[in-house]
Amino acid sequence: MNENPADLAPEMCVLLAAVLGLVNGLFLPRTRQWRVAVICAAGLIAGLAAAGVAATRADLAVFDAFQVDAITHVTRITVMAATLAVLALAAGPVRGHPRESEHYVLILLSALGAIVLGASSDLLVLVAAYLLASIPAYALAGFGKDAHGTEAALKYYLMGALLGVFMLAGVTVLFGVGRGTSYAALRAGLADAPPAAVAAGVVALLAGLLFKAGAVPGHFWVPDVTEGAPPAVAAFVTTVPKIGAFAALYRFGAEALPPGAAGWPALVAVVAAATMTLGNLAAFGQDNVRRLLAYSTVSQAGYLLVPVAMAGRTGLAEPALLYYLAAYAVTNAGAFAVVLAAGRDDLAGYAGLMRRSPLHGLSLVICLLGFIDTPPTAVFVGKVLMFGAALDGRYLWLAAVAAVNTVASVFYYLRWLVPTFRRPDGASRPARGATAVAVAAALLSVALGIGAGVALTF
Amino acid sequence: MILRLGGLAVDGLSAVLLVTLAVVLVAVLVFAAGERYGVRFYALMLLFAAAMAVTVTATDLLMLLMGWEVMGAMSYALIGYAWPDAGRVRSADVAFLTTRAADMGLYAAAGFALAGAHSLRLDALAQADVPWRDLIAAGIVVSALGKSAQLPFSFWLARAMAGPSPVSALLHSATMVAAGAYLLMRVHPLLAATGWADTLVAWAGAVTALVLGAVALAQQDLKQLLAASTCAQIGFMVLGAGAGSVGGATAHLVAHAAVKSLLFLCAGAWLTALGTERLDDLRGAARRHRLVGAAFGVGALALAGVPPLSLWVTKDEVLRGLPAGLLAVALAASVLSAAYAAKALFAVFRPAEGAALGVPVLGQAPLVVLAFAAAVLGVLGLPAVADAWRDMLGMPHEGGPDLWVLVLSGALAVLTAGAVGAARRIPAPGWAAEWLYLERAAGAVVVRPAFAAARALARFDDRVVDGAVRGAARGGRWAAGLAGRRVEIRVDGVTALVARAARALAGLARRPQTGQVHLYYAQAAVVLAVLVVVAVLAG
Repeated sequence: MNENPADLAPEMCVLLAAVLGLVNGLFLPRTRQWRVAVICAAGLIAGLAAAGVAATRADLAVFDAFQVDAITHVTRITVMAATLAVLALAAGPVRGHPRESEHYVLILLSALGAIVLGASSDLLVLVAAYLLASIPAYALAGFGKDAHGTEAALKYYLMGALLGVFMLAGVTVLFGVGRGTSYAALRAGLADAPPAAVAAGVVALLAGLLFKAGAVPGHFWVPDVTEGAPPAVAAFVTTVPKIGAFAALYRFGAEALPPGAAGWPALVAVVAAATMTLGNLAAFGQDNVRRLLAYSTVSQAGYLLVPVAMAGRTGLAEPALLYYLAAYAVTNAGAFAVVLAAGRDDLAGYAGLMRRSPLHGLSLVICLLGFIDTPPTAVFVGKVLMFGAALDGRYLWLAAVAAVNTVASVFYYLRWLVPTFRRPDGASRPARGATAVAVAAALLSVALGIGAGVALTF
Repeated sequence: MILRLGGLAVDGLSAVLLVTLAVVLVAVLVFAAGERYGVRFYALMLLFAAAMAVTVTATDLLMLLMGWEVMGAMSYALIGYAWPDAGRVRSADVAFLTTRAADMGLYAAAGFALAGAHSLRLDALAQADVPWRDLIAAGIVVSALGKSAQLPFSFWLARAMAGPSPVSALLHSATMVAAGAYLLMRVHPLLAATGWADTLVAWAGAVTALVLGAVALAQQDLKQLLAASTCAQIGFMVLGAGAGSVGGATAHLVAHAAVKSLLFLCAGAWLTALGTERLDDLRGAARRHRLVGAAFGVGALALAGVPPLSLWVTKDEVLRGLPAGLLAVALAASVLSAAYAAKALFAVFRPAEGAALGVPVLGQAPLVVLAFAAAVLGVLGLPAVADAWRDMLGMPHEGGPDLWVLVLSGALAVLTAGAVGAARRIPAPGWAAEWLYLERAAGAVVVRPAFAAARALARFDDRVVDGAVRGAARGGRWAAGLAGRRVEIRVDGVTALVARAARALAGLARRPQTGQVHLYYAQAAVVLAVLVVVAVLAG
């Protein structure tokens, strides 16, 4: 058994940065708390470097519960890069806040939970990671201490609590019928277990993961939190935990379940279809861009569930999921960065954005066109891979539903985009950090789309 | 002895015509130099003569057609030389269109020659297969009769009088009208081979000589009289070409070229000096300038066929060995030619008041030469000369003129001339004075139907063809309107329905998001229960 902590160097970097940030935050005067942000960012950058180095090595398992493989590499890098972006987004709004350093630290801890969520191959570690990813996020949602934020935090917490309990129950059932908590043991043990029990256990376990992923039926918190929480936190909770959750879902489907157990492809396909359809339809009439983005993330979660459903059925599923995940994270971070930079939540506030500040307008156009998979953006490549996986796994109806939904989604993205080309009605003072993140995300989205060939062969 | 150059060749017949053409052309141009024409006139005249030269030296239908066509175009330009005068241009139109219409025969003949003889060479036409041979002959006969102003095409020659006198002198003697006769002589083997074309041509020539002689006799205008007489004299050549007296016909052509160009030049001189062509107004004109008068006298006597002048001999050479019917018609025609020549002669020689006329020296010199030629070209009929002539033409088997015909026609000519001189007035029936109403007939039979057909076709094009196009456009618009009304509503309706349904579904999709956590809990629980059922069923 490999117990070398050095194999967890990226996670250690993040954890160390969080602890150092917390310790520093205790002693720093309020005006100097920005140093904590620097410490956290340094930790993330160090973690990214360590993850990059680790990605060149062979796959291995640590402590029998932590897989270091392609899924983990992508999860690590994506989570840390997205967290870095969120730090840049949050640094401006919480500057001088009494609990500025806690804000950064909570973000880092939640991100660490998301990484562990995606890397764990043991149900118990999965539950621990779920809690680590969720609880700081509850606190972050209510960080503004305003009515909306409090409501959002409460709803977030209550949904998370209920579905977390379901998840624990599912873990218990699976442990009972599968005689183990590690995925390898489960794969062997669930093969001759009673199917109904396995089905109930899997669905209950899924409840928690779907909550983190923001998919039906755990999606109820997404619009409310995205609208109510501070915008940087909204960007965080709609991006970072999802990455871990989808990685965990895929890993569970591919490594823990024997083929065909609990009707895995059909079960997840139903969830995916329901999620993408509901998210798209609900986004139609939204006039609040944060709520619109929230529903858009729900529908994207539906698309991301397609390769999860195909886990183990086709070789295209894993690259599709990983590429889509990275592309989604970049694009979503960019869209939220534009919302933060513009400082407006109502659709009407975006009229004339293209003339008022072309940089934001262009970034928004690239990100939203990315969501409706326009070449050459990154999401386009991810979605093509996703369709390929669905067709390869002989789930034609799912591909058809995804295609129809993609077409339908054009409507609400354009509802947001078209007014940006109108006459501006006033000047704006965009935030600098958010602008940098928006532009970087837009560029990265195009770069990932154009360099897809290189990235995929790697 | 044949000279060849590409598609051109000079044999005996061509040589005779080329020399005739050159002499007449020089004479005419010298005469014209006294009348001060512009550059355009000489250019057109030379082109005209060059085209005739190409025509008579062509060895195949292609070269022949080129010369033939250019000659026709130049005749148009020369007849309408005084283009500001609309009447003259109209005359040029009539002349040109008539000859062009007949020329279609030559084009058809060229096509048939390619089909039947697989060659355009003139000497190969006689070997063409039946029925192509007959078709070729028919085409050539039609175009030659048209060019030579034989019946029924004669009327264009009356219109050709609109041109200047030198043009008439050339056109009536060595070019244009001679070209038709020449072509018929050239393709005599083909005509003989068909067995019907030679007879047809002979009769066409004889009838033209007779009828146009009557027309000439009825004319009150010197130029019109000369024009009709040209038709009649060419008729003798065509008769010779058809009846197989090619040697005689050629001699007649040469002598007639001298005579007719001489007469036209004299008429032109009087027209320049007196400003009129009417015979009544020309009374005594011959006495007012001795040289012109004498020249005209020689020409007119020669035209009348009075012995021993040229046309008497050459005509009787043509009449050698004809069948009785043709001979009778031809003799009657020669009597008529004596009559109209005498009419013109007495008209200009009757004593009348008037001062002497001034004619330029350049205008007088050609008259002398031509008058001499008109007088002595009868030597072509002397036995020794005639044999050499026929050898040169390649027709050694043709004999000389019959003695009794010579005597008879000479006596008839002298008697007729005397009778005309003695007569008070010469009958001039309307049909003859009006050229048999040929132009009106052509208008009624060809021109008006053609215009009517053109109008009908234009109407057809406007109403049916154009109408079909417009109808298609209208139909398309109507169908588009129909589609817009009937189909578009449905297509639009489907689109609107999809949009409405999406909107309704979007409304429904927002219903679960109540904002109340207990409802969230309930919904999540229900969905998870359903998912368990799905998992159990699918597993």
